[in-house]
Amino acid sequence: MVKNITIFTTNTCAYCKMVKQFLTNKGFSYDEVNLDNEPEKQKEAFELSGQLTVPITLITKSDDSKQVVVGYNLAQLVPAIS
Amino acid sequence: MTKKIIDFVAIGAGPAALSAAIYTTREDIETVLYEKGVIGGLAAVTDVIDNYPGFADGISGLELADNLRKHAERFGTEIRLGEVSSIIPEDGLLKLVTTDGDIYAKSVLLATGCDYKKLGIKGEVEYLSRGVHYCATCDGAFYRDKKLVVIGGGNSAAQESLFLTRFASSIDILVRGDKLKASEILIEELKKNPKIKIHFNVTPNEIVGENNKVTKVAATNTVTNEPVDYITDGVFIFIGLNPNTGFLKNSPVALNEVGQIITDDDLKTNIDGIFAAGDVRQAATMQIASAVGEGAKAALEIREYLNSLARK
Repeated sequence: MVKNITIFTTNTCAYCKMVKQFLTNKGFSYDEVNLDNEPEKQKEAFELSGQLTVPITLITKSDDSKQVVVGYNLAQLVPAIS
Repeated sequence: MTKKIIDFVAIGAGPAALSAAIYTTREDIETVLYEKGVIGGLAAVTDVIDNYPGFADGISGLELADNLRKHAERFGTEIRLGEVSSIIPEDGLLKLVTTDGDIYAKSVLLATGCDYKKLGIKGEVEYLSRGVHYCATCDGAFYRDKKLVVIGGGNSAAQESLFLTRFASSIDILVRGDKLKASEILIEELKKNPKIKIHFNVTPNEIVGENNKVTKVAATNTVTNEPVDYITDGVFIFIGLNPNTGFLKNSPVALNEVGQIITDDDLKTNIDGIFAAGDVRQAATMQIASAVGEGAKAALEIREYLNSLARK
């Protein structure tokens, strides 16, 4: 079970929009960290993913285990939220 | 069990497919689009689109994509976020193997567009998304006050370099040939921008890094044959496009030698009921305006095709 979801995004990132739309279509709510508005959180996004890119989606499960999905990657997002 | 048959399925949801969908849904043709990537395609990841008619001040790619999507959905288009992995003609229908399972369509539009080409040099894969990037609008924000290299000399390289100047302290553009292939208006903007320096006759050989970070592009000046290094924090690569037709490899749809879909003047492929439009098609102009026009034409041809099936 998914406990919560946080997505790191930027204003111009089309893939970020797709992740948000995909999760909304599936009935999930999420918190968004917009790195254009909060550039100081870039380090946090990099530490989670090891990559200099968005979207970064952090999925926390009910047992508090965490999974990070980099990019708009349905092959990883679908099992991560199921 | 009776199988559900959809009148028209488009593979892709870029400008060509969305334009086709506007037309087919207005004709009350049941229309489903499958998109495995971004709705709007490469147009959606482009910062500013300045040559699409009707937007005198230009429009952001994301906004244009969103407008096209809303327009298509207004008339009843269904967009499914998933992938089609193959097409099999079967009993007069077209079976599509999708992430939602098998579906059947009377007609299909192939409008999967293109993706950016890779350079194929050492360091490109090793530093992917950790210093090597193909999407400026996604990853540019990580390079505030940093030095960047952009590789390429066409419209994408020029447009994305201008976008990256919002963040980067300086940008070296490396061009393989002795001139830019970008449109004149973009070239003028590049020349005016004090953050941008253009280097011609440069062939990149390797993207070099230290401690998990990109540090330079090792290249050759092809006029002097001398090695030359470009110190950088990151590299953005825009060297052209490859058609997204890998999923057609085992299908009967005819492709040309570079993987583009072959059609006749009516956008019909060699398989009955399968049409193609936009950047994925042989002879495509790689322009959004053309893709939208082809989408409209494909929709009219598809309407005729469906009518011909009904008359049988």
